[in-house]
Amino acid sequence: MSSSFPTAVDKGPLTLLDKLWSAHRIVGNPGGEDLLWVDLNLVHEGGTFLAFDQLEAEGRSVRTPGRTLAVTDHYLPTRRREEGLAGIDNPEIREVVRLLSENAARHRLPHVDMHDARQGIVHVIAPELGLSHPGLLIVCCDSHTATQGAFGTLALPIGQSNQLRHVLATQTLWMRKPRNFRIRIEGELAPWVGAKDVILHVISRIGIGGAVGHAIEYCGSTVRAMTMEARMTLCNMSVEAGARIGLIAPDQTTFDYLHGRPHAPAAQDWEAACASWRTLPSDPDARFDRELAIDATAIEPMVSWGTSPEDSVPIGEVVPDPARVDDPARRDRMQRALAYTGLSPGQPLAGVPIDRVFIGSCTNARIEDLRVAARVLRGRRVVVPVLVVPGSSGVRRQAQCEGLDRIFLEAGCEWGEAGCSMCGGANGDLVAPGQRCASTTNRNFEGRQGPGAITHILSPALAAASAVRGALCDVRTL
Amino acid sequence: MEPFDVLDAVAVPLAVAKIDTGMIVPARFHRQRRRPGVSDYARAFLHDLRHDAAGTPRPECALNDARYAGARILVAGADFGCGSSRESAAYAVLDYGLRALVASSFGDVFAGNCLQNGILPVVLPEATVQRLLRLLEAQPGARVRVDLPAQQVRLPDGSSHGFDIDPTRKDRLARGLDDVGVTLTHLPQIEAFEQQYLVARPWLRRYPG
Ligand code: SF4
Repeated sequence: MSSSFPTAVDKGPLTLLDKLWSAHRIVGNPGGEDLLWVDLNLVHEGGTFLAFDQLEAEGRSVRTPGRTLAVTDHYLPTRRREEGLAGIDNPEIREVVRLLSENAARHRLPHVDMHDARQGIVHVIAPELGLSHPGLLIVCCDSHTATQGAFGTLALPIGQSNQLRHVLATQTLWMRKPRNFRIRIEGELAPWVGAKDVILHVISRIGIGGAVGHAIEYCGSTVRAMTMEARMTLCNMSVEAGARIGLIAPDQTTFDYLHGRPHAPAAQDWEAACASWRTLPSDPDARFDRELAIDATAIEPMVSWGTSPEDSVPIGEVVPDPARVDDPARRDRMQRALAYTGLSPGQPLAGVPIDRVFIGSCTNARIEDLRVAARVLRGRRVVVPVLVVPGSSGVRRQAQCEGLDRIFLEAGCEWGEAGCSMCGGANGDLVAPGQRCASTTNRNFEGRQGPGAITHILSPALAAASAVRGALCDVRTL
Repeated sequence: MEPFDVLDAVAVPLAVAKIDTGMIVPARFHRQRRRPGVSDYARAFLHDLRHDAAGTPRPECALNDARYAGARILVAGADFGCGSSRESAAYAVLDYGLRALVASSFGDVFAGNCLQNGILPVVLPEATVQRLLRLLEAQPGARVRVDLPAQQVRLPDGSSHGFDIDPTRKDRLARGLDDVGVTLTHLPQIEAFEQQYLVARPWLRRYPG
């Protein structure tokens, strides 16, 4: 392949990232960016109409329509879905949903629309449909695209207008290769401790900017023992540590998950695909720019107390005291966070009264997450409003088959239609100003779930326990 | 996008530092479409800085001053375009009619987005920017000349100041080549890549299907 600017890492022991990168690299430029070929481009409705408008204004078209999949998820209603567009009261939201259908139709893009049986959050359905293979490069105009890195897929977030328009027009993107960061997680997790707790622990250790400029590869016995669902939760929040890419080497767990899914390789190709995927894991002597070792046995169920995912501590601890922090910038940020969340230094987190609970999002709304929540809620009653929103219509059907919906409903929860819902509130599912929400989502920024809303991010197990208690609650004490 | 050569135009002063992309396009405009001749982001551009809460233009804002009418250059305080990477900020600058911005620093992503849209962000030392702001306030309607090939800015007092720009970016802007245009110059390589990539991976013949 012709290229005047080869990257330095083409030889010698390679990391998973190195292999994925070089397999998709077409050329480089003098600025150090590489032109990468895109296997699949995922588009959702939020803000992306600008890319289509721009493309049209330029008189350009989509180069390979079959390699883009449009998915409606962010703005879809949780209730009255059966009424279609007419069921969306807010005219602006209705227009955003309608525009994706219009743009998909105009550009002949396959579209998983609101009433499609496959509908759901884009990062949940791509794996579910078997689209996220090891070795592929998949882009999506969304921060949490790294979720699919759990498959050994190079899953990259791109911008919603300029960059998306570039991918649509060329099926490629320019990007500077990030550095390699390996996080090795070893040991068995304690009961009621899951992937969400692991990633919150990691982020609280390295900080929200802790992995900027790096791709994180998660490895170690804890990760190997995780299901694909748990691995996706882990990779999902890589961006909360500043990494746009999160990766896990594919293994038998990955292959077993993919086998037989609609877009997985066909039977006659399956062995060849697996053989190729087995070459992807980082070479044993590959060099990483950074390494971090985590003892999984010491990880406790985690909860956030502030306005950034790094503001997380074990549920049994108290709110940390900014006065004890030496770094003035960090101290100021903590004080500001506490002013927003209305908590005081030294206050125990367990027992903080909450106003509502949200169980959903691309972090924690896969079938396993719902099973854990249902296990806690079975035979119990919730004392605050609880909204349970499955990550996909497929997850929703599966949960109904298993009777989980009945458990939620009998406990007093609301059982919504699949989508992003209250994670970011784009569809109007907002937490009211000043209300405190225990949420299985990935971001607790100021106003993330609505203006003035306070978010505590935690696992589905803790969210369910907190719903029963009406306060942040350690599931092990319920 | 339109090539950039030499721009000799009225410059409008905005002596405010740290104007972030959220001020350039307030969040409530984010669900607005952008279609040439139908709707654009001109109205959204610095809307809340140009208007009060009732929507009345603020007379003290130079952007509302008729003497600066037709300005194609904006001179601003440091860190113009900092904050979130909203690409609509660059659209708003362009739709408002501006082709060049002058400040002592710019938000990184914003500056990149400007170049994608044929807008030249010119970085000058803070002292020079302050001098230029005072000149423009003293002589409303004065012209500034931005010469991309020579990498020079001429102030209304006749003084000339050089500025730096990455040679690749300069070349693209001068040729009116946006990122897609640049990439499409590699089309033969892209097509060759696709072919060998798919031949080597027969299980992707029908992907995504
Ligand atoms: S669930 Fe939340 S984080 Fe995930 S894609 Fe939707 S809005 Fe983004």
